[in-house]
Amino acid sequence: MSAALKGLRRTLRISGAFLSTSPKVFMAYSIWFWMEIIVTVFSMVIFLYFWRAIYASSGQATLSGLSLNQTLNYIILARVIGPALENRMIFNFGYYIREGLIAIEMLRPVDFQFRNYIEMLGLMFMSLLTKVPLILIAVLFFGLQLPTSAAAWAAFVIAMLLGHAVLFLFDWLYACLAFYSTETWGLGVVREAVALLFSGGLLPLVMLPGWLQAIASGLPFAQGLYVPIALLSGILPPEAAPRLWLVQLAWIAGLLLASRLLFSVSVRKVTVQGG
Amino acid sequence: MLRYARLYWLFLIQRLKILMEYRLNFFIGAFSFLAMQSVGLVGVWAIMRQVPSLNGWSFNELLFIYGLITLAKSMNHMFADNLWTLGQSYIRTGGFDRFMVRPINPLFHLLADRFCHDGIGELVVGGVLVGYTSRALGIPWTLANFLYLLLAVLTGSVIFVALNLFTATSAFWIVESVPVTLVVFNTHEFAYYPLTMYHRFIQVAMTWLIPYGFASFYPASYLLGREVGVMAWVGTLVAGVLLLLAYQVWKFGLQHYSSTGS
Amino acid sequence: MHAIQTENLTKIFTVNQKDPGLRGAVKALFRPSRKQVLAVDRVSLSVEPGEIVGYIGVNGAGKSTTIKMLTGVLMPTSGSVRVLGRDPHRQRVANAREIGVVFGQRTQLWWDLALIESLNLIAGIYDIPPKRYRELLERFSEMLELKELLKTPIRNMSLGQKMRSELAAALIHEPKVLFLDEPTIGLDLIVKERIRQFIREHNQQYGTTVILTTHDLGDIEELCQRVMIIDKGGMIYDGPLATIRQRFGRERTLTFEVHPRHLGDLRQHAERMQLPQGARVEAQNGGSSGGRLVVRFDRTLTSASQVAASLMGQVEVVDFSLSEPDLASIVRQIYGGALENGNGKEGKV
Repeated sequence: MSAALKGLRRTLRISGAFLSTSPKVFMAYSIWFWMEIIVTVFSMVIFLYFWRAIYASSGQATLSGLSLNQTLNYIILARVIGPALENRMIFNFGYYIREGLIAIEMLRPVDFQFRNYIEMLGLMFMSLLTKVPLILIAVLFFGLQLPTSAAAWAAFVIAMLLGHAVLFLFDWLYACLAFYSTETWGLGVVREAVALLFSGGLLPLVMLPGWLQAIASGLPFAQGLYVPIALLSGILPPEAAPRLWLVQLAWIAGLLLASRLLFSVSVRKVTVQGG
Repeated sequence: MLRYARLYWLFLIQRLKILMEYRLNFFIGAFSFLAMQSVGLVGVWAIMRQVPSLNGWSFNELLFIYGLITLAKSMNHMFADNLWTLGQSYIRTGGFDRFMVRPINPLFHLLADRFCHDGIGELVVGGVLVGYTSRALGIPWTLANFLYLLLAVLTGSVIFVALNLFTATSAFWIVESVPVTLVVFNTHEFAYYPLTMYHRFIQVAMTWLIPYGFASFYPASYLLGREVGVMAWVGTLVAGVLLLLAYQVWKFGLQHYSSTGS
Repeated sequence: MHAIQTENLTKIFTVNQKDPGLRGAVKALFRPSRKQVLAVDRVSLSVEPGEIVGYIGVNGAGKSTTIKMLTGVLMPTSGSVRVLGRDPHRQRVANAREIGVVFGQRTQLWWDLALIESLNLIAGIYDIPPKRYRELLERFSEMLELKELLKTPIRNMSLGQKMRSELAAALIHEPKVLFLDEPTIGLDLIVKERIRQFIREHNQQYGTTVILTTHDLGDIEELCQRVMIIDKGGMIYDGPLATIRQRFGRERTLTFEVHPRHLGDLRQHAERMQLPQGARVEAQNGGSSGGRLVVRFDRTLTSASQVAASLMGQVEVVDFSLSEPDLASIVRQIYGGALENGNGKEGKV
């Protein structure tokens, strides 16, 4: 028990060190930082005019029950915050396995999966921090409305943390494919393409035809993006949150079990074969 | 000129041989592009099925615009993709010096050095979209229309290449030119939609400043029988002038390289 | 006509200076502080057709900047440069046809292509007539033993195989001037030997002028009659290798490890040790575990055994070793002004 605690403290310290060096790294790449801001602002402009034109052509105040403002709120938040919630576990796994590092990584005194989770969590917060200027721009120039009630914020933050865990565990499960195939790049692309549509990164899921919505609800991607962003943008009221959290927790429980099981089976394969 | 054409062919053949070695990568690359594009189009479809039109343009007409610009983009992707890597792969490593001691135009050498097969996937997508929508929309494929389509794709390609040449040249000063190139390149996304849906200022910018409008909106309007008047033809002139200007800037960059060597 | 001629060739770089940290970055944005760096300083030289010239200097001395100006990559700040009568920068294309360049560590071949395919491309770039190309290909694959390698991609080659391929690629268009930047770096002795032999033979048969930069004294000794040494941008020696060899090549260094008991003696009497003629104490230092004595001698005047015997008679020697001076140490001595002290009359200084 105390060993586990020590391990945890160490992990947190490492993550802390990581967090404190990140701003420096980020300054060094400032030209990339500005590029991302400009590119994102451009796409906000496109969304703004596109959706205005769509709503104007429809002759209705709402589409699939959403007003123009709700839709724009959602689209902008999904576009800005969405990428911060992604992780690319399968590329990490591909790297660990190619370089034969997995056995070494397993030797460290902290649970491998837990350590990676903490790292990804740190990365997500860092990434979210870099999105603040974009959110400010969106509020000032694109009419983005952020919730004013504490309940909505709490609903969002909790759903985001739970959603991040869902995605992390799903990607952990998916990344185990790297033990069986070297084509991690192709596998990563497939996941991204599927996720783009079914996570709600392109448009609010309620706008999809019924059968696509049904598929989306059977996949974990919406848990990580649509659910928290819908809460933050006001598409879903905070009162709906507790039920959504429970769904997310159910996903976490199932995926936690499955990912740990598959990982231990897969890793045995590598260590037995001496990979 | 003939010599350069022969030489390009020689480079291309060698490049294709390499690609045959990495066949699987090629298919994954093409597939990934296809997957991403299709997902994006499914998104547009999901929206468009709920409204009669976008600013008076039907879903098929939007696909036609999309197909046209994708064709132009694919040409740039196949034949001029190496502009992106000028800073990283040639100037930083000193590999650009090699071009300078060879008796051919360094820009030609840079472009010929890597034909990018990823563009083939785009070519197919663009071709299928234009082919399908032109039938669905009843555009008659007369010789005149066909020649106009070729001219439009050529014009669009030149616009893509010229703009990338402008921005890639910054690598001679700042080495890391990719972010600069990306910012300008990404504005082509405005041209996926009819320009009339934007504010007047953006319309002007996409016509005269960063003229991607001539790669999609204007030729599509012409072929669909919408009134755009002389704008159907101005694009080629604009693209030509742009390319000439870009080449002057490139030569200026080369001059700078010769005096600093970095 | 000279193969290469420069007059007061000068290159000044302007570099932006940036203080470290965020403040430096901000300052650089508003008030960039620029510094002029003199990379090549009024270098005048001429090389005759068919010569092999060694061009040496420490890293950053201005070697590669000079080579870049001779090959047309860089434009001189002032002074003139002529390669085969042309301005290599203004007439870049015409010049490029007649020169061959091997940039030591950077390949001119395509990483993923088989050697023969890279050569085909180069033949296309230089517009070599097909018949002539086949003849030369035949010759080079013979001389450089490339026959088995033609189908091998460059990425699968060893360092030595790569360098042989590079040479073929740099010479396949029959250049009149060949620039070689570190052609033997990292190679083992046998491969080095083979490459030197090829360069020598090629130079004799075709009369190709060769400019060679290297850190390897062996390259210079086996290939060059003439050496140019550059330091801090300026030419400090241009003359026959023989002069350098006479002055420095006949010197040897013996290093003795002396028993700790003699430590005190060493400190006080090292200068007064009895040594054969032509030998002198170069340096001495004492440590708690023992002392070290460095003796330099002229091997035309005395021998290692005479020096060792005489010294062993005076102190107790634990161990000793003999070394020849390497190029680096020779160059160091030349920088120290040894040539100017009346020994370098044969060379232009």
